[in-house]
Amino acid sequence: MASETRRVLMDPLIHNNPIALQVLGICSALAVTTGMQTSVVMSAAVVAVIALSNLSVSLLRNMIPTNIRIIVQLTIIASLVIVTDQILKAYVYEISKQLSVFVGLIITNCIIMGRAEAFAMQNPPLKSLIDGIGNGMGYAAILLVVGAAREVFGAGTFWGIPVLPLASEGGWFTPNGLMSLSPGAFFVIGFLIWILRTFRPEQNEAE
Amino acid sequence: MLRGLLDRLGAPFEKGGPLHRLWPLWDAQDTFLYTPGKTTAGPSHGRDRLDMKRLMFTVVIALAGTVAMAFYNTGLQANLAISHGATPLPGWRTAVIAALGIGFSPDSVLAAVIHGGLWYLPVLIVTFAVGGAWEMLFAIIRRHEVSEGFLVTGMLFPLILPPTVPLWQVALGISFGVVVGKEIFGGSGFNILNPALTARAFLFFAYPSDLTGDRIWIAADTAPDAVSGATWLARFSLTGNEAFAETFHPAGGAGITAWDAFIGFLPGSMGETSVLACLFGAVILAATGIGSLRIMLAVAAGTLLMGGALNLIGSDTNPFFAVPFWWHYLMGGWAFGTVFMATEPVTAPSTDGGRVVYGFLIGVLVVLIRVVNPAYPEGMMLSILLMNVFAPLIDHFALQSNVRRRAAASALAVEGRG
Amino acid sequence: MTTARYILAFAGAVCLVCAVMVSGSAVALRDLQAANAERERQRNVLFAAGLADPGEELSEADMAERFAAVRAVVVDLATGEELPDVDPASVDPLVEAGITDSSRAVPENFARIRRVERRSVVYLVEAGGRLDAVVLPVRGQGLWSVLYGYLALDADLDTVRGLTFYEHKETPGLGGEVDNPNWKALWPGRRVFGTAGEPIIEVARAAAGPVAEDPHRVDGLAGATMTSRGVTNLLRFWLAENGFGPFLERLRSEAAG
Repeated sequence: MASETRRVLMDPLIHNNPIALQVLGICSALAVTTGMQTSVVMSAAVVAVIALSNLSVSLLRNMIPTNIRIIVQLTIIASLVIVTDQILKAYVYEISKQLSVFVGLIITNCIIMGRAEAFAMQNPPLKSLIDGIGNGMGYAAILLVVGAAREVFGAGTFWGIPVLPLASEGGWFTPNGLMSLSPGAFFVIGFLIWILRTFRPEQNEAE
Repeated sequence: MLRGLLDRLGAPFEKGGPLHRLWPLWDAQDTFLYTPGKTTAGPSHGRDRLDMKRLMFTVVIALAGTVAMAFYNTGLQANLAISHGATPLPGWRTAVIAALGIGFSPDSVLAAVIHGGLWYLPVLIVTFAVGGAWEMLFAIIRRHEVSEGFLVTGMLFPLILPPTVPLWQVALGISFGVVVGKEIFGGSGFNILNPALTARAFLFFAYPSDLTGDRIWIAADTAPDAVSGATWLARFSLTGNEAFAETFHPAGGAGITAWDAFIGFLPGSMGETSVLACLFGAVILAATGIGSLRIMLAVAAGTLLMGGALNLIGSDTNPFFAVPFWWHYLMGGWAFGTVFMATEPVTAPSTDGGRVVYGFLIGVLVVLIRVVNPAYPEGMMLSILLMNVFAPLIDHFALQSNVRRRAAASALAVEGRG
Repeated sequence: MTTARYILAFAGAVCLVCAVMVSGSAVALRDLQAANAERERQRNVLFAAGLADPGEELSEADMAERFAAVRAVVVDLATGEELPDVDPASVDPLVEAGITDSSRAVPENFARIRRVERRSVVYLVEAGGRLDAVVLPVRGQGLWSVLYGYLALDADLDTVRGLTFYEHKETPGLGGEVDNPNWKALWPGRRVFGTAGEPIIEVARAAAGPVAEDPHRVDGLAGATMTSRGVTNLLRFWLAENGFGPFLERLRSEAAG
């Protein structure tokens, strides 16, 4: 069981990463990764929503009538997302302003619906909870790497603290504007996938 | 004698030799000096007896006029500005000119060529050194030969940059162009985007303040308080791809004649300003069949139609609508892009019908981006890159329609016989 | 087990639980959220009025202390009169501008503003019982979308105290530099009105002179013609008759009279 739990938790990090391998949840990964702070808050929100939605769907899995199961899952996820959004607005107001609609859009994040339907409907609550955390962490891992790369190269700061002295303030670093634009995230994610597949060729799609 | 020496030196790089992994490195310099002794054994990628190397060298010859402009005009514009009160940009270039004792006279061709060369050559050298290093690296990792394709990319890229572009950006840009624009897709011949334009686009979006604006097109400090010839500056500072509307508006403008724009002694990207030089290249490319004349004409037709349509529609708020369509041929990177970028064989469609559609849409898009989009002053780069992406699709449809037509024709033939 | 009745009952139960959860969190957190929004607004007003530096971390107490000198006032835009009976906290001009009943259409303008709220909230900074500065909310089209900010004028209602934008979607590195402190620092001391009382403040195409020589112009943002023009247009709009013109006129005549 221990190794099984471990597998459920760790697998989505690299081996079966929801963004890098399954290419899900890209939309928010592009929109919110301009900086570390937004990436961390968004990651936390997604981990919380996916873990709780997996847990509650799994608890109800034997009671949910099959013909309305998708709408029930959606209702649960939507409610969790709204609550999360309310909490962020109350406790991390500035960052939630920067995240704007993208917290709300977690509802449409395919990873969450996917895990609820593919995993939580068939597995016991604890395992589903762990699966949710694992997949959330897989999403978070990519977000954090992309957020770090975009903030450092796009603004010369990390967590809002200057790390590369800006040329406009007497240093040597000129921020790369492409990194601040959404396509910059595409390039960073693309490079990540390239690296991942170079070292794990089994992730390549069949020709 | 040299041959014998090379053969002996080359031995370790042959298959089985200790330095076999570095074979592409060796091969590159070897074929550069000598025509290779080997001929293609398998199916070759050439469509006729031109090999890749001859093809690429022809393109380089076609670029001669624009390279000459990069030397002369870059220096001329800087020296003109200086003669009107701008100050030479501080740095080693100014020191070199001082050491040579040439000065900044705009009337001396030599002074202009040397000043221009001091801006153009470093960009060219950095492009080849950095881009070449990536080519070598990928050739070694992937164990194939270095392709001559980079020769053209390396020639094109500096010509579409402003003279004042920082050299580290040149290095970064060409790295992005080669790696993301080409090697990611598998190297020369597999790329969907033009690598030189990819590199330019990367810099355009990453470092906009160094690639757009009205101060970067002249290699001298033209801050308004440094320039006494204000009217001269007003005449030229607007031409750097930005604010065409104010420059080229038929009613007034900054007094640039069509002839000025055609000859190209204006500030701008180093090799792009002269339509005449591009025309020279167009003749060579079209005559040798390397650049598709069909594409060039289609781009011209698209621009004519869209520019003409906008002239007819007119606009109260956007004076650029009224710029006569033929000005689009003379402005910015239109001629250079049409002749050298849109025709690049790898990234353009390879069917005749497809080429017409592709060129026509580039021509339409460039006018739309220039006139209607407020954010991007120059549309040539973006429209060619966009159509690059669609080239395979256009080819697909062109082939499909051919197949259908032939199927219909053969069906008719069968009927007739029956 | 999956009878229609069961399905309905189950769906109803799920909806009930979710509804309770959602509305419960919304109600429980409402006060905190409102306080956040209010603090954010106060901070921006203080920045514009030069009472706080953008990088400065303000504690609750600091904020309250500095904001004590600031009085929020609801103003009828058309007449320029104060509406003393209306609680400023109850008015959100941006929301009212979007509702037909509480806004009016304005003639086509370069700031691309179609409807203007009938009443707005301005902030009067007072020092020693006298008016020290006025902070006006401004907005208008930039390159990609609307810029939102505050313009603070000195008591002469002509000299700029400060300008700040708190929300915009301009290109990072180009138009995005509207919130660069170095650029904002160019504003104080510039004068917005010409001799005939019309707003002539302008963001120049290129560099402008120092305040003393070139009082009506500010350096353009490098490579951001459209954003620079947008700032010019939105300031001129809000300082003219469809914006805060009548209000400024009333303050001026009160000061004279």
